[in-house]
Amino acid sequence: MTKLERRNLFKGLAFLSPWLIGFAVFTLLPIILSFYFSLCDYSLLQTPVYRGAENYRTLATDPVFWQSMRVTAKFALLALPSGMILALILALLLNVKIRGQSIYRTIIFLPSLVPAVALAMIWLWLYNPKLGLINLGLRHLGVSSPPGWLSDPVWSLPALVLMSLWGVGNTVIIYLAGLQDVPADLYEAASLDGAGTLAKIWHVTIPSISPVIFFNLIIAIIGTVQQFTLPFIMTPSGQPARATYFYTMYLYDNAFSYLKMGQGSAMAWIQLLIILALTGIAFWTSKRWVYYQGK
Amino acid sequence: MRSTAFAPVRIIYVGVSPLKVIVAVSLAIAALLLLALGPRADEDLPKDRVVIDYWEKWTGNEELGIRDAVDDFNRTVGAEKHIYVRYVSTSTINLKTLMATAAGVPPDVAGLWDNNLVQFASLDALEPLDDLATQHGIDESTYMPVYWKGCHWNGHLYSLISTPATIAMFYNTKIFHENADRLRAVGLDPDRAPRSIDELDAYAKVLDDIGPDGHISRAGYLPLEPGWYITDTFMWFGGSIWDQKTEKFTLTDPKVVNAFKWVQSYSRRLGKDAMNEFRGGVSGGATNWASPQNPFLTSSVVMIQQGPWMANHILNYNPAMDGLKSANEENLQEPLEQRRKRIQWAAAPFPSAVPGVNDACYAPFDTLVIPKGCKHIKEAFEFIAFINRQDVMEKLCNAHSKNSPLRKVSADFLEHHKNPYIDVFEKLAASPNAQSVPQIPIMPEVGDELNNAAQSIALLQAQPEDALREAQVRLQAKYDDFMQKRRARNQ
Repeated sequence: MTKLERRNLFKGLAFLSPWLIGFAVFTLLPIILSFYFSLCDYSLLQTPVYRGAENYRTLATDPVFWQSMRVTAKFALLALPSGMILALILALLLNVKIRGQSIYRTIIFLPSLVPAVALAMIWLWLYNPKLGLINLGLRHLGVSSPPGWLSDPVWSLPALVLMSLWGVGNTVIIYLAGLQDVPADLYEAASLDGAGTLAKIWHVTIPSISPVIFFNLIIAIIGTVQQFTLPFIMTPSGQPARATYFYTMYLYDNAFSYLKMGQGSAMAWIQLLIILALTGIAFWTSKRWVYYQGK
Repeated sequence: MRSTAFAPVRIIYVGVSPLKVIVAVSLAIAALLLLALGPRADEDLPKDRVVIDYWEKWTGNEELGIRDAVDDFNRTVGAEKHIYVRYVSTSTINLKTLMATAAGVPPDVAGLWDNNLVQFASLDALEPLDDLATQHGIDESTYMPVYWKGCHWNGHLYSLISTPATIAMFYNTKIFHENADRLRAVGLDPDRAPRSIDELDAYAKVLDDIGPDGHISRAGYLPLEPGWYITDTFMWFGGSIWDQKTEKFTLTDPKVVNAFKWVQSYSRRLGKDAMNEFRGGVSGGATNWASPQNPFLTSSVVMIQQGPWMANHILNYNPAMDGLKSANEENLQEPLEQRRKRIQWAAAPFPSAVPGVNDACYAPFDTLVIPKGCKHIKEAFEFIAFINRQDVMEKLCNAHSKNSPLRKVSADFLEHHKNPYIDVFEKLAASPNAQSVPQIPIMPEVGDELNNAAQSIALLQAQPEDALREAQVRLQAKYDDFMQKRRARNQ
């Protein structure tokens, strides 16, 4: 490295230093410490005491841990595909050249701008079994005993899944951006080959935007596994009867209500490994279904 | 070499207009001046006083009440002893206190919840207050026994009280009178509250309004409405969930099981789905409680289990129930009997399931603690002691519409209290059958486990014996683990 290059390197690092220091102190160090704490008996109020893998062993035999894992897995299995498919359908519809296209796009995107707490309040009223608009509509359709939604252990989780679709606007925008890049000549070629609309979507659109689908999938995996804010507000403590007790809610309770920061850290690391594994699987399978132009 | 390295900088300046440079420099100077000479958090604090930081959970009317007490202190005792209390209202008080204490910068006084008291004390996060209380003449004779006991753990005093409560029954006298004939027909008196659990069930059955399709329009009583004390139901059944001597959970004690069987009996009688639909529709549990939609205020539920503060909410959210057009019309100087005649509700002890055991109740309280690491312990306790003076405490408890934790209360407190039935709550606090929160270091976990068991039972997902047995096994293992680790730390 020449003297000039060294000097430029130092200058570059100096300009980067606010971010570097911030990242090291507020992100990297806590990540490293959380791994150490996951091996300790630690309440925040006392010095951590090293206990090896005890926190992990305790969690492995804790039925509430597994219950929270099941709730999160069920939610992910329902919310992830439904959100992805709905967003794709909406994006395809919004991509059709019709009058007022930008207005429709705005309408679909707007709900995703609503703050989480306001969203929770809106949906608490919508889901009100007696006065809510959803049950009002169902009664008009002839359903005499519509679900109790958030107060019913059977319906509370599907209710949260349904609600999660409210925020698909972000995903729709990303799909729309991807759809603009699909080469028009591919559609023309498909038309010449006699392909209909559905065939064009299946054979042209989806393969062409598969990198975008892949990106949305990764983001959705992370988002669903980390689901916290809305159930925390709408169904505190996973009510009713822990039917909506998500993994992150138990993590939060362990760390901040029960003051078991060690166990909370262990849960955070397990969650990280789960996300890494799922992302890894997605990357591994992507070789079979994600197509990059020019490759 | 040197000139090459700085060349890009020179290029940037060449393209910038002088006006932009002037604006940027002016903004930079303004920012620097703001940083150097701008407002400081402590500039309004008196320089000659020790400043005490007091963190409290309250907002709204309750915050106004405690702020008033803080102002009184700063004006009187604080001025005399050179202490100034800086009040900070904060949400999730336990979490904020925890973080600040862990970081070594705790507030001098914190208003924790009662179920955090033993948890924090057992982790050595609170200052014991025994000596300071003795120096200020505060002892067992000052406090109602239930609260004095509740402030202790492991033989030490860890808190005093800001405001306490006792849980009683509120009932809608208007609906009682409208249904007088139906009540009398089954041998019940419409002019009084039920006095036993059997009577409560009988009143509830008469006052239920259930359509032919099974839909509930009005419930006489629902254990889950608001359900805040459902995990404490055992207290009215003469049971206990914890044996302090053996350090064992006793959730399978037949009295505790009976309490939850009673809870379940309502789901069986009304129908789980109908009850869910009704609760989901009118529930004040989470979002509608402090609002005109509270089901007691909308007459959707006739009898509820609540603390004395309910009187404040009735006045603020449905003054018509107090016989008033607006809350401003309330006149606390009006004779008590006259006030009681005007209002359309009444309060009474929640009935006990055990014959001969009267005035059973749960007695929760708000604590005033000094976290470990606090820099001004003596001064902090001066403030706590001030709040515990009879005149100050009565003013504060009246503002919050609560009973007093002190043994001595003035006649004026009882006659002109915001809650015209405060004597009921005072009587309950003095009762030997009153119980405060069980003194278990893992109480937040106990609360969550019991809540989950109670919900499973109420939703007919589990039999009371099974749900309680499962919860007991889990909790005992957690408690034993906690104590084993505590012993390992030589605490």
